[in-house]
Amino acid sequence: MKLESDDDLLEIFSHARRRDQKDAPAWRPELLERPLQRPATPLRWIPAALVAASVIVVAVFFTHAPTHEPRLSEALPPLFESQPGELFASMEPSLMSLESPSDFLLPDSLNPYNP
Amino acid sequence: MERAIADQLEALHPDAFGWALHCCAGEHGRAEDVLQNSYLKLAQQRAQHDGRSSFKTWWFGVIRFTAHEEFRRLRYRESLLGKLLLQLTGDAHDPQPSPARKMELDERRAELRRCLAQLPARQAEVLHLVFYQDLTLNEAAEVMRVSIGSVRQHYERGKARLRMLLQPEHLHETGV
Repeated sequence: MKLESDDDLLEIFSHARRRDQKDAPAWRPELLERPLQRPATPLRWIPAALVAASVIVVAVFFTHAPTHEPRLSEALPPLFESQPGELFASMEPSLMSLESPSDFLLPDSLNPYNP
Repeated sequence: MERAIADQLEALHPDAFGWALHCCAGEHGRAEDVLQNSYLKLAQQRAQHDGRSSFKTWWFGVIRFTAHEEFRRLRYRESLLGKLLLQLTGDAHDPQPSPARKMELDERRAELRRCLAQLPARQAEVLHLVFYQDLTLNEAAEVMRVSIGSVRQHYERGKARLRMLLQPEHLHETGV
């Protein structure tokens, strides 16, 4: 790859290489013998983890918050309270048993009981 | 850690440091940190060689990636927000260069480094990998994760530009 004409550059780089190798720190094999460690948690995950934890706390709070909704029977006003009894009991019974209380509203042609 | 891998790492250690040094723009202290973090990734099995490329190109790719991580971290620390946070936490960045940096007195090597720093990053990378690390263009493409065509282009342009920068009159003009 390197042509004859590149000898000038080769010489300069070789010189630099020799000098660098003199300055290189000593080989330390103990660097490779460190115990296996889990990589540290990247800092960029910390805000996301905090947000997720907050969401969970808020969700749990609202899920288990005590509710005081009254039962339907308690919530209804006393207006609807009435004594059990026969419908139309307060009305006077008709002389004719087949006559309906609203028959007087019918036109004459349809009301056989209209005199 | 398998013995064979440890042996390969030991054999590559000086050149790996040279590559880390290049990736850190010649800053000795940062290069040491980058190389140490790369070894840590191996020890913690956060980087594993899957055999798809040679061990050397894979390892140099790990170092390059780690250097870029370190660069991003450094840029953040130098940002306004980073400085503010560092003041609050009291973890101020030491502006003093590492003592090892003072060893960088070899003028010729410094010239080369300054000239490479003036090249586009890709061109400087491919020149280092080919001429310093003795990799082929294909291997350099693997380390840099770009196509062979792209690497060839960076290589040719980088050589021409570096030769121009290394000319004595140019060095004199730029005060290098």
